[in-house]
Amino acid sequence: MFKNRGIAFKLILLVSTSSALIFLLILAYNYQSSKKMIEENAGQNARNLSRATVNRIEAALRSVQKVPENLACYLENASYNKDELVRVLRAVVETNPELYGAAIAFEPHAFDRTALYFAPYFYKKNGKTEFMSLGSEAYNYFDLDWYQIPKELRQPQWSEPYFDEGAGNILMATYSVPFYRTINGRRRLMGIVTSDISLEWLRDIVSSIKILDTGYGALLSKNGTFITHPSKDLIMNDTVFDIAEARGDKGLREAGKRMARGETGSIPYKNIRGKQCWMYYAPIPSSGWSLTLLFPVDEMLADLVKLNRTMLLGGAAGIVLLSLAVVFIANSITRPLTEITNAATEMGSGNLDIELPLVRSRDEVGRLSDAFHAMRDSLRDYIRQLTETTAAKEKIESELKIASDIQMSILPRIFPAFPDRKEFDIFALIEPAKEVGGDFYDFFQIDDTHLCFIIADVSGKGVPAALYMAVTKTLIMSIAKEGITADRILMKVNDELSRDNDVNMFVTIFCGILDTSTGEVCYANGGHNPPLAIRKDGDISFFGETGGLVIGAFEGMPYTLEKLVLGPGDTLFLYTDGVTEAMNEKEEQFSDERLERELASLNVVDIQELIGGIMKRIVFFTGGASQSDDITMLAVRFFGEKTFV
Amino acid sequence: MEIEVNKELDIFVIRIIGRLDAVTTTEFDATINGLISGGGNKLIFDMGQLQYVSSAGLRSFLGTAKSLKAGNGLMAFFSLQESVNKVFQMSGFNKIFKLFNSKEEATEFMNA
Repeated sequence: MFKNRGIAFKLILLVSTSSALIFLLILAYNYQSSKKMIEENAGQNARNLSRATVNRIEAALRSVQKVPENLACYLENASYNKDELVRVLRAVVETNPELYGAAIAFEPHAFDRTALYFAPYFYKKNGKTEFMSLGSEAYNYFDLDWYQIPKELRQPQWSEPYFDEGAGNILMATYSVPFYRTINGRRRLMGIVTSDISLEWLRDIVSSIKILDTGYGALLSKNGTFITHPSKDLIMNDTVFDIAEARGDKGLREAGKRMARGETGSIPYKNIRGKQCWMYYAPIPSSGWSLTLLFPVDEMLADLVKLNRTMLLGGAAGIVLLSLAVVFIANSITRPLTEITNAATEMGSGNLDIELPLVRSRDEVGRLSDAFHAMRDSLRDYIRQLTETTAAKEKIESELKIASDIQMSILPRIFPAFPDRKEFDIFALIEPAKEVGGDFYDFFQIDDTHLCFIIADVSGKGVPAALYMAVTKTLIMSIAKEGITADRILMKVNDELSRDNDVNMFVTIFCGILDTSTGEVCYANGGHNPPLAIRKDGDISFFGETGGLVIGAFEGMPYTLEKLVLGPGDTLFLYTDGVTEAMNEKEEQFSDERLERELASLNVVDIQELIGGIMKRIVFFTGGASQSDDITMLAVRFFGEKTFV
Repeated sequence: MEIEVNKELDIFVIRIIGRLDAVTTTEFDATINGLISGGGNKLIFDMGQLQYVSSAGLRSFLGTAKSLKAGNGLMAFFSLQESVNKVFQMSGFNKIFKLFNSKEEATEFMNA
């Protein structure tokens, strides 16, 4: 997908995505651990705050509890009359500011045998202490909770908060303490002393709790009723169970039960404005109420969120800066690269004179550019040299071609060579290899009845071989005078060539002299391949391997003269190793045996056809494999003196 | 072509393996010239694994012979294969060189 994109694109993609990934991971880790820390702190704060608030409420409640407890103690242990009782009660209410009101409610007929009710009650109204005598048909306090529950339980008791319509007409809670008198050894309940606390006052304490911006505290009674709450509608109207029911919140209901059992805990909770909060609750032991504190989660994490946002912005800016830096670096690399690429393309199409971009930096790109400069220069030099070498080589090749042409031109190539001689025929063919070779043949008349014919192969190839061949041929020509024999020719040529032969070149020569009047052939062989004698009757055989050493090796070597007589129609076939060692693509040689076989099989009239036929067989055999050596063949046919063709 | 040279006392036994032709004579010449210029003047050529010798190869043998002759050195051949032997016979090299059937015979000749 990105294969065809540039380096800059890949670098930016890689660097910015990886750094963004790293940055986000760090940010997420930071957020998580900070959040955990903040929540732990919030938990600690909640405990501290609730402990402080609970202590304040506890202190207030305890001071309110003290009043009826002391009064009860007084009533149980002292004698008193009505006036005294009223006076003490008034003093108690007036001197305890946290007290809203206090009453001493006697059992029916317990204070005054004639009166059913006796319950003096002082309470505060508009800053003044008012008196009220409780008890009437309409307000039968014996049946009320604040009286009945402690009476039955025989122990002091806080009432559920309630709206007292009989007396104070305000929302209050009452602490009731039963008091007794021992009559005839029996402990008998005399009545209930109460003290009232205004819940307005409690609300002042709880609403003074400030948690973050919008967090708040609330007080719940034992059965879960809201005693204080910022929302007044809830107070005395709803319980925590009502809310749990309405919301289908099992967690909240469970928390409500735990509050009722006086436990401490925390749950996630949505406050009345629908804000996600974290609610902490703790009991107020003396009254069995619960204090709940609500911490709005977003406000708890506000600083963290703000910090995160700042970090995110900073990080994004950093990545943008980083990308810009990468673009700059990538461009500084790719610009010269692109230029070099264009130059290389241009160079590839053959223009070596192109100006290469100049890169001044000493980095890898700089070195690449240097290398390109060096490459262009050396290519230029190389091509110049190649041009010169090629020209020189072409010159040499053309000279070699001329040398080869000259070499060929010194061989007799006009056939029939002796059109006026009917007693013999001679034909020769040379097929030079690509390189200038060292094969040659020659024939000439020494006198009227003696035909000298030679075939030779100079060792090696090229100009040295060609020169050696020319020298040899000339030597033979100059030596072969009337009356000389073939062995003498070879001895003389050998001596001439061996002298000062530092290059160790040599030549194999077969030299024969045909007496055209008798058919007698006197010959000598200087290390050359043995020729074949093809008799008129079809008999064919190699001959003339005399064991003579190659010519030019050592001075003073002897050569033997041997003799063969040709009958009319007999033929001598001479060849060089280019024939028998001609190779096909399987590296098989044409071989002596094949040559003999092919010669026997060719049924031709004249020797030109014979040589042409063998040549065709050789070409067929090699099947187009390149010719590595000269192929030379020479044939002499004797017809006899009286034969006329 | 491969050349293996073993020195046995003052005699170098040179085994030529493969083909000795225009292409391989350069290496052959270099090896032999190294031996001769290093003082070697008794060379025995083990021809048992030489399959082919061209005229260029013959020329190398000739050169070796001339180099040795200058320092009164000796050279001999043994175990010539049929095809190589044929070339030696044809070119007359069998007349100027000592050919033996075995290394022992060649060594004996050297030490005589």
